[in-house]
Amino acid sequence: MRVLEETLSTPGTESVISLNAVTREYASHGNVVRALDSATFAINSGEWVAITGPSGSGKSTLVNMLGCLDRPTSGTLKIDGTDVASMSATELDRFRADKIGFIFQQFHLIPYLSAIENVMLAQYFHSMTDESEARVALEKVGLGARISHLPSELSGGEQQRVCIARALINNPPILLADEPTGNLDAANQKIVANLLGELHRYGHTIVMVTHDPEMAALAQRKIALSHGKVFCHPTSSSRMIRLQR
Amino acid sequence: MTLSMSTILRRSLIHRRARSLSALVALTVSAGVATALLTLYADLDAKLHHEFRSFGANIVITAPASSALPQDALAKVRQVAGSDALVAPFAYAIATTDRGTPVVVAGTDFAAVKKLDASWAIENGAWPDPSDTQAALIGQRAANFIADEHAVKLTFAGKPLTLHGTGRIKTGGDEDSRIYIPLPAFTAWTGTTTSVIEVQISGNAQKIDAAITGLKSALPGMQVQPVRQLVEGESRIVDRTHTLMYAAVLLIALTVGVSVLATLSASVLERRRDFALMKALGGSQSQLISLFLLEAALLAFAGVIAGYIIGSALAWAISETNFGTASLPRIEVLPLVLLLNMAIAVMAALFPARVLRGLQPAALLKGE
Repeated sequence: MRVLEETLSTPGTESVISLNAVTREYASHGNVVRALDSATFAINSGEWVAITGPSGSGKSTLVNMLGCLDRPTSGTLKIDGTDVASMSATELDRFRADKIGFIFQQFHLIPYLSAIENVMLAQYFHSMTDESEARVALEKVGLGARISHLPSELSGGEQQRVCIARALINNPPILLADEPTGNLDAANQKIVANLLGELHRYGHTIVMVTHDPEMAALAQRKIALSHGKVFCHPTSSSRMIRLQR
Repeated sequence: MTLSMSTILRRSLIHRRARSLSALVALTVSAGVATALLTLYADLDAKLHHEFRSFGANIVITAPASSALPQDALAKVRQVAGSDALVAPFAYAIATTDRGTPVVVAGTDFAAVKKLDASWAIENGAWPDPSDTQAALIGQRAANFIADEHAVKLTFAGKPLTLHGTGRIKTGGDEDSRIYIPLPAFTAWTGTTTSVIEVQISGNAQKIDAAITGLKSALPGMQVQPVRQLVEGESRIVDRTHTLMYAAVLLIALTVGVSVLATLSASVLERRRDFALMKALGGSQSQLISLFLLEAALLAFAGVIAGYIIGSALAWAISETNFGTASLPRIEVLPLVLLLNMAIAVMAALFPARVLRGLQPAALLKGE
């Protein structure tokens, strides 16, 4: 499968995401709230990074920035070498469709579209739809026999796998997974974790927000947030390898 | 299989069938009412003129005192008034009945009067045969002044005339006190020619004014007068009916607009996560708003199709009931109804579309 097997880049020193003193402030009831405070870090191509932190620590704000759903108040945010802070809303829409694949905790599949149509929806907003490519994407996540099913006819794990196929269909350099296993039982959590591991092995850059220490342990590196400030930690990949086996 | 905007629209409308149906019903009602009113409006002038025709003449031409209408007056009037005008000549004299009572006798063309004064009720008989030169129509009150309606004996300046009555006129007006006889028989009997010509012009007040000007020019010195009450009454009723119809269309449009606005607003709020997802997947603001507006436009279009059929049937029924003639469907009202419904749908969709502008995908997809 092109979307799974194509190596995007060799994990190494090339930064696919880099933040330099990124700050995001919001106005709230007349006060200025600093949700992200001078965040500076980089994520290399092919890296699997877990973003952790308690509620209110700025995880969502950071994910919005990395997902090009929001822009920093100050600082420089480069995605795949491009500074997104200066982009217009329209440019950002286009850029997001090209560069980011989203995996959501609540799956967010369109309820009236079948599994394959949900995957094709990402193609529709990106360029043009290709049914065979969408079919292959679903086969690779183990849903070849369920392509015509509506989300309501799929289990939570299956819905999340449709979400993963949709995130990969346009071959984006970055996969942004926001609590990807937060709504799954243990069995499906393992399936999704293995799927992410496989994607990582094929060279996809994965940025994953999680509360789950087991999921966080699968990543190569943790970026911990507290009160809007960033703390980076290297982490062992041994557990990830164990899960994949 | 491809995924196109039409597929997304179709699936979305079917998925939310209750909401779609609610908006469709509202838009069908607006299109139906607009179609019915516009169809009736288009036919209104003709229908009301037809109704007013039964009230008789709207122009009266008389000679000034102590003079007569020219010999060719009737021909000139017919020429100026046009082929669709109704024209009837009248000549009047006061005769004495066989009971010795004076009565107004009018000579006329029964065939013309029958068309001009279609509201005249004929009791105990029928309109005279136009070929019957000895027939008489006797007014309801005038019948009391004669001994035998089958042999109406009249005297004018010592000259007797016997006619046979074919029926009684009942109008509630002056006609009830008169006896109408054929104009040739009247002229031969009294030696008096046409002194009054009554004309009914089909059309609005402007058309009647134009005819009056033409008649005055064709018959110089003659008195050409509009029957003010009738002309003004007709004009007033037509104007009021038009205003009423405009107001009704506006009221319905506003009511439906509010209803569609509520439905579409609820629809956007209900689906804001779907739209947020589309935005996260790279959908541009204009794509999402187009999708939403197209959905509203599609409902408006479907409403127009259904509403046009229902509205045309409604106009037919209303016209048949009130005017006795059917109003046939008018294809020319379709673009107006389409425009109205599209305007309602798009206006109602603009406010919810603003919600799409302010959509925060990150927060919504996070479930906040």
